[in-house]
Amino acid sequence: MRLSRRGLLRAGLAGTAATALGGLASGCAVPTGSTGRNMVLWYWSGGLSDTVVKKAKARYDSSVDLDAIQIGGYYRSKLITTMTGQAHIPDIAGLKGEDMASYLPNADQFVDLRTLGAEKLKSQYLDWKWQQAVAPDGSLIGFPIDVGPVVQYYQPAVYEKAGLAYEPDDVSSEMNTWDKFFAAGEQLKKRIPGTYILTDVGSVFEMSIGQGTTRYVNRDKHFIGDGEHVRVCWDRAVEAKRRGIVSDLVTGTPDSISATEKGRLPSQLNASWAAGDLKLQYPKTKGRWRVANCPGGPSNVGGSFLAITKACREPEKAFEIITWLLNADNQAQGFVDAGLFPSTPASYDMKKLREPDPFFGDQITMDVYGPAAEKIPVAFNSPFDVALGQPIKDEIKNVGVLGKDPKKAWRDAMSKCRRIADHLGVSH
Amino acid sequence: MATVPLVEKPPAPAVEPPTPNPRKSIRSYWRLYAAISPFYLLFLAFGLIPVGFSLYLSFHRWDGLGSMQYAGLSQYKYLLSDTDFWSSIGNTIIIWALATFPMIFLAMVTAVMLNSAVRFKKIYRFAFFLPNVTSVVAVAIIFGSVFSTNFGLVNALLQAVGLDQVAWLNTPWGIKVAIATLMTWQWTGYNAIIFLAGLQTIPGELYEAARVDGAGPVQTFFRITLPMMRPVLLFVLVISTVTGLQSFSEPQVLLQTTANESTFSGGPDHAGRTMVLYFFQQTFDNNDFGYGAAVAWGIFLVVVIFSIINWRLVQRRGED
Repeated sequence: MRLSRRGLLRAGLAGTAATALGGLASGCAVPTGSTGRNMVLWYWSGGLSDTVVKKAKARYDSSVDLDAIQIGGYYRSKLITTMTGQAHIPDIAGLKGEDMASYLPNADQFVDLRTLGAEKLKSQYLDWKWQQAVAPDGSLIGFPIDVGPVVQYYQPAVYEKAGLAYEPDDVSSEMNTWDKFFAAGEQLKKRIPGTYILTDVGSVFEMSIGQGTTRYVNRDKHFIGDGEHVRVCWDRAVEAKRRGIVSDLVTGTPDSISATEKGRLPSQLNASWAAGDLKLQYPKTKGRWRVANCPGGPSNVGGSFLAITKACREPEKAFEIITWLLNADNQAQGFVDAGLFPSTPASYDMKKLREPDPFFGDQITMDVYGPAAEKIPVAFNSPFDVALGQPIKDEIKNVGVLGKDPKKAWRDAMSKCRRIADHLGVSH
Repeated sequence: MATVPLVEKPPAPAVEPPTPNPRKSIRSYWRLYAAISPFYLLFLAFGLIPVGFSLYLSFHRWDGLGSMQYAGLSQYKYLLSDTDFWSSIGNTIIIWALATFPMIFLAMVTAVMLNSAVRFKKIYRFAFFLPNVTSVVAVAIIFGSVFSTNFGLVNALLQAVGLDQVAWLNTPWGIKVAIATLMTWQWTGYNAIIFLAGLQTIPGELYEAARVDGAGPVQTFFRITLPMMRPVLLFVLVISTVTGLQSFSEPQVLLQTTANESTFSGGPDHAGRTMVLYFFQQTFDNNDFGYGAAVAWGIFLVVVIFSIINWRLVQRRGED
């Protein structure tokens, strides 16, 4: 058929219009989720071990087409947009630990993993981590990937020079309380002027909160951030500032990086996964670091879950894949590949996790991480914790960085919290 | 769309033309309407409907996943009493002013210098445009080290001339100045190019006449160049208002902090938290989509007010 120029134009326009209209319509009309054969898994870069994902694809090749997609950018908002849009919802979705509390009130959007036999596997996972994925109605919506036990990373050469304990076991036992840690900080500053044991007060506050069993909002939707347990953490952070053991540098800036390389900021309180950041940020300091316990006891930052969405056509198959991906063996691989600290205690004794780490002077870091991970207290995470914890964290930062009067800062934080609580319908 | 006639109406013809039938004209012009339709369809789907939805959303409470609850005007009531929102407006305007006025001055100087005969003119024009097409994120990372307290270039210069160090990214004013400097650096070249285009439309005869009348270069600049450039100046002001009120990536990347802190907090005392940053924090950090939508409409109102001021400015100048 010969097509005239005008005819071609007309056909093209009609096509465009049809596509545009079709696109509009498909949002509501096309069935959601998988066809059964397809199994779409969403996670983020570094969220799972690439080796394990590859192995899973090969393993389940005969029954499903496992399509594991790394979603870049702001993961949570992409996931909830897709779920709200009711189209192209992944069958299996990664849920980040810090977002977990906000998914729990919407447990009906996910498959209750208890119905698939999750309870049988419960004993293999860290109990406190398991509890974080239990929704108010008792359903289990996430299966634990990793955890983030907090430790003290430090440079032994600097500690030794300051006359402090410098072997990991000695540091763990001689700086086991916040008070002893602060005293060590004072000695460090006195012996080596210009050296600070803490970069900012925020980490003291944050890790202290993580060591407790209560946070900012309780199960009854009541604001408890003005309680004694928060006040103690606040006072502790203020105390660190008062004793002059906190630097005035901002974490992550070229200033703090340079100071860390020179041994002026010889320690960091951070989660297990921060070891990867240390290796990336300070390659020159290889061998100059060790790992010891966090003062005041174990705490947790981060660590994620895998969930099965309601759009999944074959939840049994999805559950089989998830439990295989996250068994003790594969979690150990996740630690080796991506620094994902296993939520399966059985992994901690495995040979590949007990390799000496040259970055940490051939220390077997698992000896510190493992026991810390098992002792993390169970805390209730409310979906309102983010909004109501932020003003307190902001104000402690103002105390630390700007030297704001702590009393005024606390008053400001509390009045802001009450205002936000009123707005969100949280009682106080 | 534009209804202002571009040319003056021709005198009425002696014979009345047949009155046009609107329905018939739509039918006979359908190809033209069809040709421009993809834009309108896409705009409807990805522009107008989301805008309408955000208005609907602002009257509800919604965590993004569950069901929405009607909340009436409560989100707006809270917005009016929300000191954080007001301070974010203040921050935005201060940063905008700190960035825009030096920028316009520098751009004008650059443009005038470029306009006078120099060699390698094209290379300069290219070089001046370059900051504008560089990724904001990359720029902000560089500026983060330029403004760092102990090892930054700015503090090194200050110390070289015997002044004290300033903790740029640690003090409320330092943060604002750092963000404004970044924006100035980014937009000066772009606006200089626009000014240059404006300068080249000024007829040479005016300058010749001025020279004949014995005007010096300063007088020429203030009496001829500046008045003739007024429309271009206003255009630049409007564009910079629009970009300045939307500043988001600059403070976000410049003041990026550790993992256990919000990246939208805007640094100590929220000194760098702009309106859009605040919107983002409320919506995506707190999962408060209803309130986020209300904040977005609050921002919209601020932009409308600024636009009206701009427009009045243009109107008055036009009457002069």
